[in-house]
Amino acid sequence: MATVKRAYIEDLNKRLTLSQKVFVRSRKGKATKIVQEHYLRTDIPCSSQLCPTCALNPPMDSSGTSRPFVLSSDPPSVKSFGPHYLVPDTNIYMKAMDLLEHFAAFYDVIVLQTALDELRNLSLPLYNRLRALTRSQEKRFYVFHNEFRQETFVQRLEGETINDQNDRAIRNACVWYSVHLQEAVAGTGKSAPTILLLSDDKDNIKKAKELGIVRATLETYVKELPQADTLLDMIVVEGDEDTSGANRYSYAEYYTTSRVQGGVKEGLLHQGILNINQYNFLEGNISVAGFERPLLILGRESINRAMHGDVVVIEVLPREQWKHPSTKIVEEETVSKNDNPEDDTQENVVTAQERRVLIEEARQAQHSSAEFRVQPTAKVVGIVKRNWRSYVGHIDASSVPSDAANARRQTSVFLIPMNKCIPKIRLRTRQAMNLLGKRVLAAVDSWEPTSRYPEGHFVRTLGDIESKDAETEALLLEYDVQYHQFTQTVLDCLPKEGHNWRVPADTSDSLWNGRRDLRELLVCSIDPPGCQDIDDALHARVLPNGNFEVGVHIADVSHFVKPDTAMDTEAASRGTTVYLVDKRIDMLPVLLGTDLCSLKPYVERFAFSAIWEMTPEAEIVNTSFTKSVIRSKEAFSYEQAQLRIDDKRMNDDLTQGMRILLRLSKILKQKRMDAGALNLASPEVKVQTESETSDPMEVGVKQLYETNSLVEEFMLLANISVAAKIYEAFPQSAMLRRHAPPPVTNFEVLADQLRVCKAMTLRSDNSRALADSLDDCVDPGEPFLNTLIRILATRCMLAAEYFCSGTMTYSDFGHYGLASPIYTHWTSPIRRYADVVAHRQLAAAISYETLHPSLRDKPKLQRICQNINQRHRNAQFAGRASIEYYVGQALKTREIDAEGYVMKVFSNGFIVFVPQFGVEGPIHLRDIGNPEPPCNFDEERYTLIFRKDTEEETRLQMFDRVLVRVETVVEESTGKRKVALRLKKPLIA
Amino acid sequence: MTSRIEIYSPEGLRLDGRRWNEVRHFRCAINTHPVSSDGSSIIEQGNTKVICNVIGPAEPTLRSRALLDRLCISVKVIVAPFSTIERRKRPQNDSRIQEMCSSIQHVFEDAVIAHLFPRSQIDVNLYIVAQDGGVLQACINATTLALIDAGVPMYDYVCACTAGMLDREVLLDMNRIEESDMPFLTMATIGATRKVSLLQLEMKVQFDRLEPMMAAAMSGCHHIRNLMDNEVRKHGKSRRQMGSL
Repeated sequence: MATVKRAYIEDLNKRLTLSQKVFVRSRKGKATKIVQEHYLRTDIPCSSQLCPTCALNPPMDSSGTSRPFVLSSDPPSVKSFGPHYLVPDTNIYMKAMDLLEHFAAFYDVIVLQTALDELRNLSLPLYNRLRALTRSQEKRFYVFHNEFRQETFVQRLEGETINDQNDRAIRNACVWYSVHLQEAVAGTGKSAPTILLLSDDKDNIKKAKELGIVRATLETYVKELPQADTLLDMIVVEGDEDTSGANRYSYAEYYTTSRVQGGVKEGLLHQGILNINQYNFLEGNISVAGFERPLLILGRESINRAMHGDVVVIEVLPREQWKHPSTKIVEEETVSKNDNPEDDTQENVVTAQERRVLIEEARQAQHSSAEFRVQPTAKVVGIVKRNWRSYVGHIDASSVPSDAANARRQTSVFLIPMNKCIPKIRLRTRQAMNLLGKRVLAAVDSWEPTSRYPEGHFVRTLGDIESKDAETEALLLEYDVQYHQFTQTVLDCLPKEGHNWRVPADTSDSLWNGRRDLRELLVCSIDPPGCQDIDDALHARVLPNGNFEVGVHIADVSHFVKPDTAMDTEAASRGTTVYLVDKRIDMLPVLLGTDLCSLKPYVERFAFSAIWEMTPEAEIVNTSFTKSVIRSKEAFSYEQAQLRIDDKRMNDDLTQGMRILLRLSKILKQKRMDAGALNLASPEVKVQTESETSDPMEVGVKQLYETNSLVEEFMLLANISVAAKIYEAFPQSAMLRRHAPPPVTNFEVLADQLRVCKAMTLRSDNSRALADSLDDCVDPGEPFLNTLIRILATRCMLAAEYFCSGTMTYSDFGHYGLASPIYTHWTSPIRRYADVVAHRQLAAAISYETLHPSLRDKPKLQRICQNINQRHRNAQFAGRASIEYYVGQALKTREIDAEGYVMKVFSNGFIVFVPQFGVEGPIHLRDIGNPEPPCNFDEERYTLIFRKDTEEETRLQMFDRVLVRVETVVEESTGKRKVALRLKKPLIA
Repeated sequence: MTSRIEIYSPEGLRLDGRRWNEVRHFRCAINTHPVSSDGSSIIEQGNTKVICNVIGPAEPTLRSRALLDRLCISVKVIVAPFSTIERRKRPQNDSRIQEMCSSIQHVFEDAVIAHLFPRSQIDVNLYIVAQDGGVLQACINATTLALIDAGVPMYDYVCACTAGMLDREVLLDMNRIEESDMPFLTMATIGATRKVSLLQLEMKVQFDRLEPMMAAAMSGCHHIRNLMDNEVRKHGKSRRQMGSL
């Protein structure tokens, strides 16, 4: 795109000058000239608090308010430049956004429109981060629209490139600012702050020097700052320009954009998201349209610099290169242990060791007779979108040179990310020694074809490895959980009364409009012990006609969180509350979550109620929804509620109500099961922590009571009823949740394993068949086997997701696991944002309030869905990771023998699941005996036969019960304390 | 949000450097084609450019169209193929153009003092030379000036302006890029009054947002009326000096 600006200047409104922006756009090979108006004005303020002239006439927006001036009258000062305002060049934003965000430096920055626009074209994420900085009040970033100000606007000169023009515009703006500020302080006796141009462009610096602009490169500037060492490490390393010709390309270059686009269009290339196998970092798979099963991507060369989660374009390899998925556990650490971070030029991409691994696999592929196992393979030929973010990891101690301690020079070290799907990242740092043994946050900058590993830069340290704070923060960062404090603007949305907020006593108050007074009902809540954010409460009573009235009362969050407020935006971006073992990261501020919204006992609370009339056979006669006021009579834990129901001596109305609920819930559950709902299992354990220090004490399996299922049934019922209602009212924009039926191929392997090892059949034609066949998979000798199969079956399923009803057809709405044609989430608005949306839609559907336009906006809802789906998934991962960490800590000093089950068999090891601790882990053959015992892997029978030393032969088959020694070690590759398993002996049933 | 262009920056500047309440550069001239027509005008609103020729009042070309008690107006809009970024020839009976003709016709049949000219017809020919948003408003403004030039008695200027709504921000006088990105309405008022003779809105807008849009469009109309009035008076003055009046 070439830009020419032609100006014919004319006076308009005595204030604006008109210029035309003319540029040529090429589309489909045709060049079109585009003319746009470009108005030049003189009323764009400099936004310095020193300037009295600009402050006289601040521009107003449509609501008649003007923005406060941002740049401080007393900017920070450094030795060589004195007090200054910074004007960074575009390349500074590109490489040092982490630095700009740092709290220790970079205040009072003038962001020029030229640079901002350039940045947006180069990188949208960086642009969004910069925009976030300009919004924050602490950092004092001001966007100066220099291209709209008459004095700072520049015409493109003949023969000038856009980059040159932009650089000139930036210099021009610097000159104008200096002169303007000089004039502003003239006569006041104050001195104007220096305008400091920050640029790493040599040419720009040179020309700035000619104009007498104060300028600095990023490095020289950062060196002046107090925390120079830390900050210097955060500068993105640029590719070495002086590498000699000996440097050859080691990875294949990506195809050109046009070739990739053309290929995808013609169906020769395919686009999809790359998933790296967590047990084998050299193997990835990718699901693309047109292929039933995911394609395999094997080896570093084929993965070709793509990373887990990137959107990539792939090319299918010829048939002779098709393989079957690896049967080995391959960890990066063992294969590429000795790479030297400094030395890059001589290495091949694929080391000899990696080759050996690949060849072995290829050989096996040939041996394999099972034809269906050979899968098409592919290689990455282009990257559409990187999924790069900041990664948490630790510095590989072996990569730190021994002399790093005394030298202050930069050294290259490897960062080993916690996530095993991510390759090592090469960092350049001056503080390698200090970083050892710390959790470190680093960002990836680039991955050149010449470099075996991606290049990154240091962002900050989180603390010592294995310290509770650092590990918790690490996993929050790793799963992108927003854990910072709520900002003041969010807190300003809370009711002024704070904890003293009460439901108005006077029922004629406007807050009572449209609300039913249900304070007299015998409502109670049943939750896990110690639950503070009580979302739901229940009641039941007998009606005169013999039917039952059942009510589910949900915290009325939408009364407090109004759409389009700061609190709403924050909640939408957090998406969900994240529960860690010792910590809760709230979606809503504590005041709402645990007090004003929470349906605490003995106080009046606003609620949203779903009330059914049911026959004794649990047939629904009538459903109604209403906003209400309730007063919960009691908050039970599951256990307490169970005890009360079972206690024959209790015969008060509340207990009777609970017994009705329990009876009805059992009927509802049976109906659901008859319809084909699945009873799935996930390994759930509970970590008990010491109340004072929250040190982990004991690990136990969660106990379930009948009351758990009671609450669950009624929540499901409420969700289904609400889903139907909001879909009826808003067929295009209802917030729903679906669980797509899994493709039959997903169950192939599990069904085969069951057939071979246990002579059981697994049918997966529909959820009913699956549910029934799961029920039949019972081995009297192995009571746990059924649960194990359910756990494995769960992993074959797709994840449930939120969606906006207008984006799918009705037949796709179904919830496979619940066997319900329509479903949503409505019952936990305190901890899930989807429920808040459903609340608002339901309130509009019953004409309690008008529907806010944003809830009608399909694209916006889709964005919300996408975000909360992602957040929901991450919250689950984070929760699991937290349990994993605490289990590791709880077992730190102990060694326990426990029973486990083989849940996957590889040719060089197997994975064992230990139900007692809910952990699974690999056992490598090489750990069983030294040297590695000879083994025989029967792939078709999922059996590994090996002989250790002189002992008799051991056969291990899938689903076998084994006795293992559970202990914990600090895993070298990730720095996590992990449960390690050692085989004691197989227990043959 | 993730669009590559920013229609309205957080600092309150639009894509072309205007603020929310500023109309584009407005230029007009009347009596531009004195030979070929009875009244003529050129309007430029930003990069939108319209030429208007008025012929009449005269005997209707088709006798059947004549109304016994009042004049009738026939409007023809011709869109130049080079008026858009990509050259494209448009058929005369394009339904959008037909619709535009009929709206303009209805607006002006009520704005001129029609009963003074029974059984006669006025032909309004509009040539859209360049399009950059707000074509209908430019056509209406051009017709007003041309009718004034032709000496057709009217109750007042008919002046038109557009206003759009982006999230919660009202934007006045939209250009092409803005039009494609947000709902907008075209409003025409009779002079500087609150009488609305045309209100056209083709997209969905939340009901409570209509009012601020209309308020902005109305003040835009009044502003444009002043600009047109200045031009007419200037023209009148020069005609008098030349002695042609």
